Amino acid sequence: MQISLRYKDKGTVIHRLNPFAKLAWVGSVTLLAVIFEHPLFLLLLFLATLPVVILARAWREWVSLIRFVIYMSLVIVIINSLVMYHGTHVLLEFTFEIPTLGNPKITLEAICFGLGMSLRLLAIVSAFTVLNFTVHPDDLMLAMIKLKLPYKSVLAMSMSTRFIPTLAGDLERITDVQRARGLEMDKGRLRQKLKSRGAVLIPLLANSLDRTVQVAEAMESRAFGALKKRTYHREIRLGTYDLVTVCAAISPFFFGLYLRYLGYGGYRYYPSLQKIDPGQTGWLFLAALAVLLLLILPLAWRRRRYILD
Amino acid sequence: MIKIKGLTFFYGDAREPALKNINLTVGDGEFILIAGPSGGGKSSLARCLNGLVPHFYGGRLKGRIEVEGLETIRHAPKELATRVGMVFQDPENQLVTTDVEREIAFGLENLALPRPEIAKRIEEALDTVGVAGLRCRSLHELSGGEKQKVAIASVLALKPRVLVLDEPTSELDPQGAEEVLSILQRLNDELGLTVILVEHRLERVIHLVDRLVVLSAGEIIADGRPQEVLEARYEELVRAGVGVPPLIVLIQKLKERGVPIERIPLTVKEGRAVLESVFREGIVHPHPDSLPSREREEKHTEEQAEPAIEIENLWHAYQQDQPVLKGISLRISRGEFIAVMGRNAAGKSTLIKHFNGLLKPLQGRVRVFGRDTRGATVAEMARHVGYVFQNPNDHLFADTVAEEIAFTLKLTGCGDIPRRVEETLARFNLARYKDQYPHFLSGGEKQRLALASVLVAQPPVLVLDEPTRGMDHRLKNELMQFLDDYRKGGNIVILVTHDVETAVACAERVILLSEGKVVVDGNKKEVLSRALLFSPQINRVLQGFAGYGVPQDILTAEEALELVWGG
Repeated sequence: MQISLRYKDKGTVIHRLNPFAKLAWVGSVTLLAVIFEHPLFLLLLFLATLPVVILARAWREWVSLIRFVIYMSLVIVIINSLVMYHGTHVLLEFTFEIPTLGNPKITLEAICFGLGMSLRLLAIVSAFTVLNFTVHPDDLMLAMIKLKLPYKSVLAMSMSTRFIPTLAGDLERITDVQRARGLEMDKGRLRQKLKSRGAVLIPLLANSLDRTVQVAEAMESRAFGALKKRTYHREIRLGTYDLVTVCAAISPFFFGLYLRYLGYGGYRYYPSLQKIDPGQTGWLFLAALAVLLLLILPLAWRRRRYILD
Repeated sequence: MIKIKGLTFFYGDAREPALKNINLTVGDGEFILIAGPSGGGKSSLARCLNGLVPHFYGGRLKGRIEVEGLETIRHAPKELATRVGMVFQDPENQLVTTDVEREIAFGLENLALPRPEIAKRIEEALDTVGVAGLRCRSLHELSGGEKQKVAIASVLALKPRVLVLDEPTSELDPQGAEEVLSILQRLNDELGLTVILVEHRLERVIHLVDRLVVLSAGEIIADGRPQEVLEARYEELVRAGVGVPPLIVLIQKLKERGVPIERIPLTVKEGRAVLESVFREGIVHPHPDSLPSREREEKHTEEQAEPAIEIENLWHAYQQDQPVLKGISLRISRGEFIAVMGRNAAGKSTLIKHFNGLLKPLQGRVRVFGRDTRGATVAEMARHVGYVFQNPNDHLFADTVAEEIAFTLKLTGCGDIPRRVEETLARFNLARYKDQYPHFLSGGEKQRLALASVLVAQPPVLVLDEPTRGMDHRLKNELMQFLDDYRKGGNIVILVTHDVETAVACAERVILLSEGKVVVDGNKKEVLSRALLFSPQINRVLQGFAGYGVPQDILTAEEALELVWGG
């Protein structure tokens, strides 16, 4: 079965959660993934996203995205190990020269650094899937407008997502047209291949330009930009309970910031790997951070009951 | 109230005006049809009414346009939005948001209306158009007809006094089109809304409107009540390439030969009443034996040769457990002209994509000239099966017209490319555009080029998916003439179409699909006569005259005339 990477209202507790709370939580995880270097902390961030994804019943979509990130990670690890040789544990040394790279030394440290970076990427992408699959794009737009981002930029962004399925349909149709003319997409040398892609991409681009003009025309005809101010049909209410949830969702970020200030969460890969064990207090802080990260789950759960009551 | 005086308009650096000295006054509550050939200025005139011309398109404008007391030259479309609502051709390109409610709210938010007022107007708009059931649906799940209804609702929410629609049904299937048109009629009738509809298929709408305005080459060539225009200006309309409904053609031809007919009938019902009196009073007598087309067809069925395309028990599904084609078996011989018809999602496109291997059978077998498509690539099949899609823009990518045509030859590995390109350019009347950029051609020329780029390889099978959608009468005739010639050269032409009149005009055999099965397959006379939905206008008019000796399988005005005058 084909997996759709679009938002779909599955009605789970995570879908019901206030968009601001989700934005705050995803923001926290992302920022923490940037400020932490320690693999255990990064691993914790990644793991913390899993229960949320599972509760949102979005794991199928998650798997298809994460699979792509894992391929990318592989590339990161390979490139990093080829270009960085500050490590002291040499696993393999090239005896011949590779143009522009010289004689690469593959070191344990460089591979571990690549793995650490991949973990960071995984945590960030995994967090963003929560945003992508559980917040309606229009709600996301409203949330961003409330955060004082300029309306026109936000609208442009939301419209580009609106036209993705249309574009995908165009692409499929044009590919069929050109194949029916005898075009073989993957045949021939690079030059030939580029030309084949052109046969599909040029009509696609021409169609999209036509669409752009027509959409602009239609918007103009419906009073777009008639007044400086505009109102919004829907509003994301921020009740007391939602505010509490938002605070809970940001709390791991501030806690993490404080931990970094105390000196936890850093890690040294070069010249040789630092000890991975963060020490007794380190483990304790890690556990505390885990609790704060997962705080959002009972809150989401309680909110459902709260609404039913 | 709309007043246009002495309007002349030039696009950008165009030398010829798109609109020439237009004078038009539209009263409140009128339902006006603007018809005419492609490129006649219909869309430009529609866009003048809400200020898109000149505020959005630029250009040079002379004259005065006053809409509901506002001069459009001074007021931009966004200011006119509460007076003139505009609905466009492609529903896909006028929807901005992702679901129905938000879409309707978009214009109201732009006007900064308070939230309770927005909520109220959304309810009203949903009910007026009858789409309340779609309220929470995602726009991308809706059918074309439903999308177009949402577009109308979202414009109506702004409470305009005038509704302008630019070919709102040309992207829709017949059912969707019918629904949209009946909504327009209701809006005009019950709410007193002024409706200005641009449309080139007269037979669909002529009976709904109060007034018919015909534009050709930027000028109004006729303006008046539909009956009067069709009666007094018939010759001019035909010369300008306006698609006059077959019933009107028949009636006019009868009048030319001295049959006294007082009132031009616009609907099938009126047509029957007129013909009833003509037959009853014995003014004309049908001569069923004088139909020469009969014999020709019988001869044709005898030469049942070796089938060129053989389909055995074909099944196909895009998703598990949801078959789109359910056990289709067909045999098609050389020299056949076939129309494939059926409702939306009946499996028409899925079926024809099997002819050149774009789709492979899930079960069953498709053989083209003895070759199983499962064992062949699409590129290999391209030598035998040419495939033309609806939108010519999907075909065109090269820098010049000549390159576009040569591209197919290179792909299919044909020799002698320059000579064949020259020949094809000449045959399709494109020689003078040889070095032009394809996207700069007009709609009809683009369509010819798309066809040329496929036919240059001389495929013995030609498949066309809805080629006449959105085409005006003249282009349609040109295409049909060409396809008929191509078939006479011993080739197979297979046409998917919603348009019964197109199918009737040249197909011999009609295959009707429903729910992935072949419901009827046979000569067009059997399939299209006395069918409830799929009968052409003339056939519907002549139903019920069997008592006067009128055969019940007459499909076109020409046949009906042959019947009466013996060819």
